[in-house]
Amino acid sequence: MRYAYLIAVREYLENVKTKGFWIGILLFPVILLASIKVTRFLEEEATPTRNFVLADFTGELEAVIDQGLNRSHQWRVFSAASDYVSKHTRKEFARKQIEEMDLEKIPSSVIDAMKSMRQEEDARFEGFLNSSDPKAWIRMMADSGVLVEDRPDFESPRPKFSRIPTPDWLDMNQSFKEVRALLKERLDESNPSDEKDLFAAVVIPDGILTPSKSNLLQFMGARPKEVEYWSINQADFDLRDSIRRALDRELQRRLYATEGLDEELIKNIQSDRVPVVSLDPKKKEGEEEVSLADTIRQYVPIGFVYLLWISLMSVVQMLLNNTVEEKSNRIVEVLLSSVTAGELMAGKLFGIACVGFTMLFAWIAALLGILHWHAGPEAEFVTKLLDIIENSGLLWIFLAYFLMAYLLYSGIFLAIGSVCSTIKDAQNFMGPVMIIMMVPLLTMMFIPKDPHGTLATVLSWIPIYTPFVMLNRAAANPPLFDIVGTTILGFVSVVVVIWLAGKVFRTAILRTGQAPRLVELWRWLKG
Amino acid sequence: MTDALILESVSKLYGDFQAVDSLSLRIPRGSVYGFLGPNGAGKTTTLRMILEIIRPTSGTISVLGAPSALQVRDRIGYLPEEKGLYKKMKAWSTIAYFASLKGMGRKAAKTRAFELLEQYGLGDFAESKTEALSKGMQQKVQVLASIAHKPEFVILDEPFSGLDPVNQEVMEEVIRDMSSAGATVLFSTHVMSHAERICDRFVLIAKGASLFDGTVDEAKALMPRRVLIESAGDLSSLEQLPFVKSVQEDLNQPGLHEYRLKPDADPHHLLDAAYEKGIRLTRFDRSEPSLHDIFVHMVGPEAREATVR
Repeated sequence: MRYAYLIAVREYLENVKTKGFWIGILLFPVILLASIKVTRFLEEEATPTRNFVLADFTGELEAVIDQGLNRSHQWRVFSAASDYVSKHTRKEFARKQIEEMDLEKIPSSVIDAMKSMRQEEDARFEGFLNSSDPKAWIRMMADSGVLVEDRPDFESPRPKFSRIPTPDWLDMNQSFKEVRALLKERLDESNPSDEKDLFAAVVIPDGILTPSKSNLLQFMGARPKEVEYWSINQADFDLRDSIRRALDRELQRRLYATEGLDEELIKNIQSDRVPVVSLDPKKKEGEEEVSLADTIRQYVPIGFVYLLWISLMSVVQMLLNNTVEEKSNRIVEVLLSSVTAGELMAGKLFGIACVGFTMLFAWIAALLGILHWHAGPEAEFVTKLLDIIENSGLLWIFLAYFLMAYLLYSGIFLAIGSVCSTIKDAQNFMGPVMIIMMVPLLTMMFIPKDPHGTLATVLSWIPIYTPFVMLNRAAANPPLFDIVGTTILGFVSVVVVIWLAGKVFRTAILRTGQAPRLVELWRWLKG
Repeated sequence: MTDALILESVSKLYGDFQAVDSLSLRIPRGSVYGFLGPNGAGKTTTLRMILEIIRPTSGTISVLGAPSALQVRDRIGYLPEEKGLYKKMKAWSTIAYFASLKGMGRKAAKTRAFELLEQYGLGDFAESKTEALSKGMQQKVQVLASIAHKPEFVILDEPFSGLDPVNQEVMEEVIRDMSSAGATVLFSTHVMSHAERICDRFVLIAKGASLFDGTVDEAKALMPRRVLIESAGDLSSLEQLPFVKSVQEDLNQPGLHEYRLKPDADPHHLLDAAYEKGIRLTRFDRSEPSLHDIFVHMVGPEAREATVR
């Protein structure tokens, strides 16, 4: 046992003392943070205001579109202002806000939740629009004593899109086809990163808002009149959607007017919903309502499954590399003159397991650190998430399943390492193993939707998937039979895999040259 | 005192391939024993069986009085044929690690590692990672790692291969040092001159079977005596002498002849005969057979046939 311990210590130190290991550990939170911050920055700051030109053959929709775009822009200003306000709200007000915004109380069905939030938001938005200027609105909030004194000035976001007045080269007296050809040519020459260049062109044919009397033409295969949205960036739909929304609204407004309908009334009717409540029979009397927090809870394990997969891959890879190194360097021969193959294997498994746990603790600490840093009055979601991670016991379940997965896969990778003389040989074996290992990644998004379904249940009972899938299901309170049964099956498999791996390891570790054929492997397993 | 190592008709079969064929061997304690043989003769297989890394198919092995090397593994040192180290480990910690696997305490192992590196000229490289060392230095580190725990019985598989002449001498020094400290040394080699200089006894194996086991002198006595004679005159009368076994003229150097004498003949009689017959010699060279000659003589034809596994 002393020798296994010495080997474990060496394995641990060799892997933990490398720069790469710590870079990997640091990179994880850095990338996590960057993926939040950078995308936000890119979206808000780095994109220039894009220019587009409007060729309106109806001659009456310019104002409608400008208004629509302005509304979209004002919405963004409002969101930014709201963020600003909640970020600089005094603590005592913030706490009150959180109590009102308790995720445990918000019903889980997203539409309902959205609706109640929407109505509140809409009311605030109208108030904001009426106050003419965001600075004035913020000043109003500040005057009422809600905001802290010490805060930076509010910076209004730039408009995302700007309509340039009809340029000289565009003669609206030309035909639709000619105008369109002209625009197409101009756009084609545009450089997407140049602020002065054209980003898009919108061509509105005449009579677009005149409702077609018959669908016969369409039925015959003729295309109906369409608003044409030409753009050099086909991935950014914001402008197209804003224009479409503006035109849709205008079309509906006109139709209501022709039919003599009250627009306000229709809006009110449309926003009405039949209330539906989700209930969980497992919860206590009076608290059965499924909250948004419950829904978050159900999805949190996905993050853990992913973490499990990544960390497992990293450590078994280390195990594989070390084993192949020892084999190809023939260090193993010296080792085996000092310790038995069993001690060597035990030492390696234990040492690398400690590396894995070190990595996990560092990652989880980083994750919790980032969440804590972001948590606070202005981030109810993060606060709730943190609460779920820290208090639901998921962390312990995660660590337990990591151990099971590690023992299972490390046996497999140790055996692979021992039969291969070079990393290249090992990669040939790795291919199929990797494909098999991908399955839990592919299913992890679906399992929370149907945590006790056939797919989830069947996968749970396949030992190599047990840790992933059971972790995936953990928040949904899987049946006790599944928990106990798969755990027993899992640990039986661990014992079998390690035992078989030991057989292969002992035979293969001293062999040089070609990797064994499958027939030979089979013979080793039997003998 | 018992022998350090006893092999009794040890055989090893790999499938149908007879790697070692009922080999018997006794190595007295304190001796330096050479283990000679061509490639594929079964040397490494035998050494691995001695160390219980692999098991013999049949026969018994006794190491330092124990039936298995595992029971006395802390008292054995082993340097395998193919050399390799953990690339990212420092020289001293490599040595200390292997010594601690042999039961040395951590602190003692560390002190010993620095001591050894200093002693064999690697003091300045103690803190270097092994991948930064030259191949010869790496090999030295490995040798030191295998003897750091002061083993009673050291098994070295091809310790000289890959070393430059200076380091080969250092290696010889290491072996002599260990021997004078009372350790038993068993080493395999191709380089016969080393074996000749430092072996008390040697065993020569080919195709897994022992061809010779004894001292260097005993081996030489088995060899036909060889005398080189160079002369411009007629040597035919010398070739008729009763104690001459055969004569061969060197094709590259006309006038140079190699005389092989019968085993108990005295080369001096050949010189006497030349003097009597008035033959003027420009060269008379009664060279002792070297271990190299013995090796080639005994296993030459087989070594050529032997296939490397």
